[in-house]
Amino acid sequence: MIQIKYETQRLSFRFFVVMLILFFFQVLFGLLLAAQHVDPTILAGTLNFNVVRAEHTNLGLLWILCGFIGTILFIGPLMSKRELAAPGLIKFLFYALLAVVVWNVGTQALAMKGIAGWWKGQPWLQEGLEYIEAGRAADVIILIGFAILCYVVLRTFPKRSEWNEIHWGLAIGVVALTAVWVFGMFFTERLDLQEYFRWYVVHYWVEGVWEVIHISLVGFLLVLMFDADVKSVGFAVFWGVVLVWLSGLIGNAHHYFWIGTPEFWQFWGSLFSALEPLPLIFCFWHIYLDAHQDAKPLKNFPAFAFLLGSVVLEHVGAGILGFTMTFAITNIWSHGTWVTMSHAHLALFGTFGMLGLSAAYYILPIIRRATNFDQRLGKLSFWLVFIGILGLSFGFAIGGTIQVFLYRTLGLDWFGGDIAPALVFAKGMVLIFGMVFFAGVCLLVYDLLTLGARDKAVATGEDMAEHVLAPVGSARPLSGWETGIWMLWMWIFGMIITFDLLSFNLSTVQQGNATIPYLMGFVGYSGLLLVSLLFVRRFLHAMQARGAPSLAAEGQSAT
Amino acid sequence: MSCQPGKLCWEGFKRTRALALLGLLAIIFILLSFWSFTSSRKQAIPRNVYYADYSAVEGKRVFQSFNCMGCHTIVGNGAYFGPDLTKLYGKVGPAWLEAFLPSAGAWPTEIAVQIKLNDAIIAEDAGVASIDAYKKKYPDAAERIARRGGHPTMMPNLPITAENVRKLVAFLKYTSEMNTEGWPPEPKIDGLATPYATPMPGAAQVAPASVAPAAAATPAASAGATESAAAPAAADDSELIAQGSQLAQTYGCLACHALDSKRTVGPGWGGLYGTDVKLTDGTTVTVDDAYIKQSILDPNSQIVDSYPPGTMPPMQGILNDDQVSAIVAYIRSLKGA
Repeated sequence: MIQIKYETQRLSFRFFVVMLILFFFQVLFGLLLAAQHVDPTILAGTLNFNVVRAEHTNLGLLWILCGFIGTILFIGPLMSKRELAAPGLIKFLFYALLAVVVWNVGTQALAMKGIAGWWKGQPWLQEGLEYIEAGRAADVIILIGFAILCYVVLRTFPKRSEWNEIHWGLAIGVVALTAVWVFGMFFTERLDLQEYFRWYVVHYWVEGVWEVIHISLVGFLLVLMFDADVKSVGFAVFWGVVLVWLSGLIGNAHHYFWIGTPEFWQFWGSLFSALEPLPLIFCFWHIYLDAHQDAKPLKNFPAFAFLLGSVVLEHVGAGILGFTMTFAITNIWSHGTWVTMSHAHLALFGTFGMLGLSAAYYILPIIRRATNFDQRLGKLSFWLVFIGILGLSFGFAIGGTIQVFLYRTLGLDWFGGDIAPALVFAKGMVLIFGMVFFAGVCLLVYDLLTLGARDKAVATGEDMAEHVLAPVGSARPLSGWETGIWMLWMWIFGMIITFDLLSFNLSTVQQGNATIPYLMGFVGYSGLLLVSLLFVRRFLHAMQARGAPSLAAEGQSAT
Repeated sequence: MSCQPGKLCWEGFKRTRALALLGLLAIIFILLSFWSFTSSRKQAIPRNVYYADYSAVEGKRVFQSFNCMGCHTIVGNGAYFGPDLTKLYGKVGPAWLEAFLPSAGAWPTEIAVQIKLNDAIIAEDAGVASIDAYKKKYPDAAERIARRGGHPTMMPNLPITAENVRKLVAFLKYTSEMNTEGWPPEPKIDGLATPYATPMPGAAQVAPASVAPAAAATPAASAGATESAAAPAAADDSELIAQGSQLAQTYGCLACHALDSKRTVGPGWGGLYGTDVKLTDGTTVTVDDAYIKQSILDPNSQIVDSYPPGTMPPMQGILNDDQVSAIVAYIRSLKGA
């Protein structure tokens, strides 16, 4: 597709612009957090760590939602073959979103003075709960916004009898998005009950709703990019959604191991959430199949690179790293440490963030009438962002492994200043790779925002020629068999990480010998992340070799 | 699991079957959830946990207001920046928490904790009255005092009023009573006694011995102060100032008062002497020897406007007249930055 078919598709543009701006600030806050980890006195008393972190998590959720909304608004008309319903409401949604962002960014700082705005037993300004820090006032506006999104999507879609599986996936996704949000809108006296419901929002969003939206959007973007068959992609979406929900519904129990809920959750949570990687493996496999539907050259490199990154990091970050810490006997060690953060960054940014960026790279050139844009900046920013997120997740993982040993084996606590010096290496890595990541983000935001506005003269031929590789070496065609081997390697390293966490149960480790967990952690995490990096490189190289002169010539001579 | 174009794939049938299975799982989940919060579970309930007349529910509101979870973790969830707070109350006890929370920027000294034990409510909750018994009952408090007492923390001072401190302690008392199914796992060894305690070679490690003097010097310092203050009034003023400086450190005054004019928890001491301050009752007084002495011994009797009452513990019966004079002399000697 090279141009807009329906005028209302243009409404998605503004959401992508906001997404990019919020993304920039979110990463800036993240960088500040990394700096505060290294030196806790930075901005202490002016902008305390908890405020910066609340901005970091909140902006993260908000820009991911912007990406979803933008993508849905763009593909909605294509899926329905008509204009979006209620464009006025969508504009209202946009301004409501801006209001929520400004209001929420402002109110989070009140935590430094301990002001939550209690009225009628509810915290109206901010509520100090991880991920759902927004106060009740913002919560209500967000709920209204979600309701508008539901209305627009459902009214735009054709009659129910004409729905394919992608329609079903998206419809269920947006309705569940709204429904689940309600569980975060009550003050709960009991801590165990509060955590129980907080994970309704966080877990069911991420591992239920967002994944369903993710699968549907990835499916449709593949249809757009590779002219894959709608029906066969739709069927894959169906299986993806089924697997997500059948594993994720009770899989939520992996959050109920230690929050004060009974022991039986350890059984249910371990069992069902061990199945949660299944849909992700399936999705991983499908991007291979759909990308190899035909052998046409890759038209939009950055869009596909981010889409591939999204699916691979979902498999690695959410699937494999999630799997390693999902069993009660491994989770008892990883819980409450940086090990969790490694998983969270790869899974959240990797899966949903990269999807939004992929959609932006696909959609913005079309809206801006610049489909022949210079893709070099996008390519460079992809690699910076991808290497950055892998590197900082490695820092978190190694830091987390050290932390588990210090906390749980040596019984040292933060107060003694024992933990901070031991994590110097990991904190440094997070900061350094954070800067690599940030450099990528700056390039990317600049590239996408000025796309089509700058240097229209860039021709298609010159810059694209650079992307085409000869189909040899790392760019030889990628077979399904080879993809399977790559995936197998990822799981082998994933198993090493699982055994790394399990090894904290060994009596030799508990007697104070860290050799086994440190060694296995180092091998496991570095292996997993390197394989991911090399696989993505291999996949993209193979894609870039399509349309290489020799192949094209062969094709011509054959016909 | 793929559907080729033109083939019959039974989508509708498969969708119905998947929904039925999902419904079954939902029923299991709801039943388990229901079972989790019934009273037969015997889980601690915040409504039933009180500390100094405040319920843990009120404490939970304060905990959320300050977004404590944005740095710390509670039941393992949060920001992984500060330590986990779930079992803290059980480890360090109420007196240590009461000494720590109003001036979180500095670690409480032994005397700061001891002063809190003079409060009957705190002593009753702790179950002990003397600092020695307290340290025995709460070895983690003893360890914190010995290793860190008087040193700056990595936590910023927060405007937590005396009332909110008690509410927070009530909340931490509740979380400490919660059954968290064996998390966090108990270490089997004493980490500080093993050679692996510094896992990063070359990284700076604060040795326990280097910190200990602050606490160990306490009895000697106060004895010394009493002794020399008893000397004739001809004693050198600079000696008095030196004693005051030592006392300010020992008694943890500097956890809340800066040596320049900066307001931290309490007013900064630098340049304070001789200025005029407006009290909550509207009157204006000059900061002189008598005012400072009164503020040390009974701080709540004359609170300066914009400062919350009840934050500073009364030092009546803790410091004798000579010690107070030494601290007054020390404050008098500090010039504003």
